[in-house]
Amino acid sequence: MTTFIVRRLLQLPIVLVAISLLIFGMMQFLSPEQRASTYAKTEQQAKNLDLIIRQYNLDQGFFVQYTTWLKAVMHGDLGYSKQSHEPVLDTIRKKLPVSAELAMYMFFPVLAFGIWMGTMAAIHRDGFIDQVVRVFAIIGWSLPTFVLGIWLLAVLYGHFKLFGIGRADDQYMVEFARGTLKAYTGMITIDGILNGRWDVTLSALKRLVMPVLTYTVVASAQIMRVLRSSMLDVLNSDYVRTARAKGLPERVVNLKHARRNAIIPVVTIAGLMFAFMLEGVFFIEIIFNIPGLGQWAVPSAVQLDFPAVIGIALLTGLVVSVANLAVDILYGIIDPRISFQ
Amino acid sequence: MNPQDMKPQREAWYRSKTFKRFRRNPLAIVGSLLLLGFVLVAFFAPAITAPQLASIRTARPCLRDLGIKRDEVLAELRNPLKPTFWKATLAPPQTCYEIPRDGFSPLPKPPSKKHPLGVSGGSYDILYGLTWGTRTAFYVGFLVVGISLAIGIVVGGMSGFLGGTIDNMVMRVTDVMLSFPGLVFVMIVSVIFGSGLTTVMIALALIRWAGYARFFRGDILRTKAQEFVDAARAIGASPLRVFLKHVFPNAIGTLLILASMDVGSIVLTAAGFSFLGLGAPVGYADWGQMISFARGYILGTAQGTPFDFWYVWIYPSIMLVLFGLAWNLLGDAVRDALDPKS
Repeated sequence: MTTFIVRRLLQLPIVLVAISLLIFGMMQFLSPEQRASTYAKTEQQAKNLDLIIRQYNLDQGFFVQYTTWLKAVMHGDLGYSKQSHEPVLDTIRKKLPVSAELAMYMFFPVLAFGIWMGTMAAIHRDGFIDQVVRVFAIIGWSLPTFVLGIWLLAVLYGHFKLFGIGRADDQYMVEFARGTLKAYTGMITIDGILNGRWDVTLSALKRLVMPVLTYTVVASAQIMRVLRSSMLDVLNSDYVRTARAKGLPERVVNLKHARRNAIIPVVTIAGLMFAFMLEGVFFIEIIFNIPGLGQWAVPSAVQLDFPAVIGIALLTGLVVSVANLAVDILYGIIDPRISFQ
Repeated sequence: MNPQDMKPQREAWYRSKTFKRFRRNPLAIVGSLLLLGFVLVAFFAPAITAPQLASIRTARPCLRDLGIKRDEVLAELRNPLKPTFWKATLAPPQTCYEIPRDGFSPLPKPPSKKHPLGVSGGSYDILYGLTWGTRTAFYVGFLVVGISLAIGIVVGGMSGFLGGTIDNMVMRVTDVMLSFPGLVFVMIVSVIFGSGLTTVMIALALIRWAGYARFFRGDILRTKAQEFVDAARAIGASPLRVFLKHVFPNAIGTLLILASMDVGSIVLTAAGFSFLGLGAPVGYADWGQMISFARGYILGTAQGTPFDFWYVWIYPSIMLVLFGLAWNLLGDAVRDALDPKS
């Protein structure tokens, strides 16, 4: 097991280098001046690009450029964002907790709801519940995040004045800005507890209802579909019949024998989903006015703020490869046979 | 014995068990009918919007390029015997995809006789945008599926045929492509080449091919293991001939069917990018763009109630969802028919 994890960890740098090569390769379509802006650290430097072109060998061959760039990236030097008027790394540092908090609250309901629906559908195969779940899945499949998001926004927030948008009540945001509330983690629901202020946490949680609801309806269909089909396979297997024949209660057979073995493909999908959630988070942030990475990065792409987009791309690469790594290791834990292959 | 004789017997597709299963699925019927509706709307878009083309002044570039005078629009566009009808239906000029605007007022106006579905902010005619947007949707969907399928077939085919190191490398590349979020990829491409519908389509095709390549490779490996392939090899057919004459044609069917069902999800994704402002420009007949443009009116005005401007965002979003639903109903039924176990 340990060797498996170590071997898998050693692969991580290779994947990261491949992704960085891909991103850097795409950057080659930009002119040296445009690329130079991804190296600048201050507004001053962003205006003096010639200097940077010489300093970072931007007029030299590909590999000289690449190694110079990689060195700069390793030092956390991701350039200056015109959109946020500060170095890219600073913006990411400020906005990452906001997006991470949102992602955290979005991920688990999707997983739980998808697994529950998938189990129910498989157990009651072709029955009424199965049909309902499948129709729900097709509808969720056809509803893009942004469409359901604006519908809920109009009906729940616009018409019924429920939940609210943004991160927390204005008064709390002011307190955070003034420093009467300390931002330990940057995640309001957690900072509220750490400050001993449950009202702050509650206000933030209230505003998470619509985003989480939107994403759960849209994304849980995939988990449900995968679990249902893998569970149907398992329910047909010999050991499940044996378990039933021994007289075990149906509930134990379904949950302990069948689902535990059917869950492996779900881990793969969940890992992929975690990476793809970044996309969902961006949409949700823009619809529900949450000032996270998406609200900064997407307009940056429209405004041609290169450093911001490259920075986000690198961050995405990192998140994706770490998520994949986590999935592989989790795999090894759930199904020990895998680590010996 | 000719290896062809060992292949499973081919039967007419409409008599096959697969098609029978498909036909008996009520959801498949609903999906097909919905889709037929969209095809009709797209086909007759010029005829449907003829009154708008005639009455709104900013539609003139489109009429000019079609070569019609304003008072003859209705007669020309709604009469299949006129050549202009066919020109407008089959090869309309790009200018016709610009939604005509009846004035420049920032406030939307509710449905009226002149504008059956109302006008959005900036006075863009909503009915016009929806009908011509159906054409954009089909265009985007089919083009992206086509391009990515072509790349996927070539890459996946090579990977499955050659095997070994190349196969291994190709699969690692697809791993990376499949796990990289499309939105971030589109953002990079937009920043480099500028945003627009073409950029979105290229970016989507560059993401989507990986899935097809993997799927096709898998089917090739499965087909390769079948007996008729062994037979062909045994009578001395060259590897390339075995691949092109026996493996390829037998492996590609499922991929083509499943990929064609992806049109819906591609249109939904592209609409999402348009919603974020990375796709079609304001005023272009594209549902995602219309929803994006309607964002400012979702919560109504400061004095008004949120549903004051319902027609601005409800119509395009319903079109989009129904379009996705039609394809997904079909796709689900097709998957069930191909693999009854799942």
